[in-house]
Amino acid sequence: MNLLRLALVFGKIGAVVFGGGFVMIPFIQREVVQHYGWLTQQQFVDAIALGQITPGPILISATFIGYKVQGLTGAVVATLAVFLPSFLMTALAARQMMRLRRNPRVGGFIRGVLPAVVAMLLVAAITIARSTVWFDWRLLLLMVVALILLVRYKVDAVYVVVGSGIAGFLLEC
Amino acid sequence: MPDRDVAPDIVPETPCPSRPSLPALAQVMLKVGATGFGMGMVGVLQQEVVTRRSWLTQEEFADGLALANLLPGPIAVDVAVYVGYRLRGWIGATLCLLALLVPAFVIMLGLTIAYLRYGQVPQLHGAFKGLNAAVIALVLSVAYRIGKSSLKSAAQAALAAVALVAAFLHANLVVLVLACGLVGALFLSSRPKTVMP
Repeated sequence: MNLLRLALVFGKIGAVVFGGGFVMIPFIQREVVQHYGWLTQQQFVDAIALGQITPGPILISATFIGYKVQGLTGAVVATLAVFLPSFLMTALAARQMMRLRRNPRVGGFIRGVLPAVVAMLLVAAITIARSTVWFDWRLLLLMVVALILLVRYKVDAVYVVVGSGIAGFLLEC
Repeated sequence: MPDRDVAPDIVPETPCPSRPSLPALAQVMLKVGATGFGMGMVGVLQQEVVTRRSWLTQEEFADGLALANLLPGPIAVDVAVYVGYRLRGWIGATLCLLALLVPAFVIMLGLTIAYLRYGQVPQLHGAFKGLNAAVIALVLSVAYRIGKSSLKSAAQAALAAVALVAAFLHANLVVLVLACGLVGALFLSSRPKTVMP
């Protein structure tokens, strides 16, 4: 039962992550943390961080969640389910490539989706912040520094994540 | 597995200089999956498939990238599936997806097991707090990147504002995404050029 639900939840998320893997964050937060309670807020954030320091797509965080819910089988099911929709759509669309790209409605759809994605990411960031760094000015400062490094200096996300972990460790000592 | 580098039945109009064998394809995808991080995978993929092996031309690869931007899913995974499909059909697409995911899956599984066993060690609490800060910064940086390239008209900014309120009020996110897409398909198809300052 859990396995079926896991497959459905991750299949649904995989079908709507327009704009890249990071877009899964608002969905996972809503479904996996708030609705089903499969992970605590902290475990969810850690799953994202681990997904970031693992090579490969960030969506691989699904492996973490699947494992937490149902062990190895859960990990396999969640991982395959989250990648299946985009796999099918991409392979099918590869044949229709030119027709799809020339269709103005498709372009319009994406132009409409991306503003929603931006809004959802902002809400997700605020939700995560409220449960974590909001009350600690040192962590807020760390967050701002990380943001500047990412946006202004285009530092690779892997280094930012590892560096922040080390900084947090040192702050606590 | 037999190594079939030259396929005589290849369609002549496919501008594909060499059709790779399945093991060769899998090998490249394993490498991309093991050495690329997030969007960085696209760069590694391009290097391997276009620059080093000339399996696809630059234009064909760019087509895949454009397609990946239209479809849901991680860009790099979509591009890998596209490459696999273009080169070896459904089998190639499936193989590329799986080979790309195997390194990440194995590493993530190991990290997960270690995390669930040792994550509660008090000495690590600080480190995880630091990770929180990094994840928030990452989410904001992605929002900034997508926002910069997509909020180009007043209509799109308004759509983002409406979506922001809806998301705050706990609207169903799937419905929200599809509704905004529908609004876009109906009203933003003609690519308005009212660029905001």
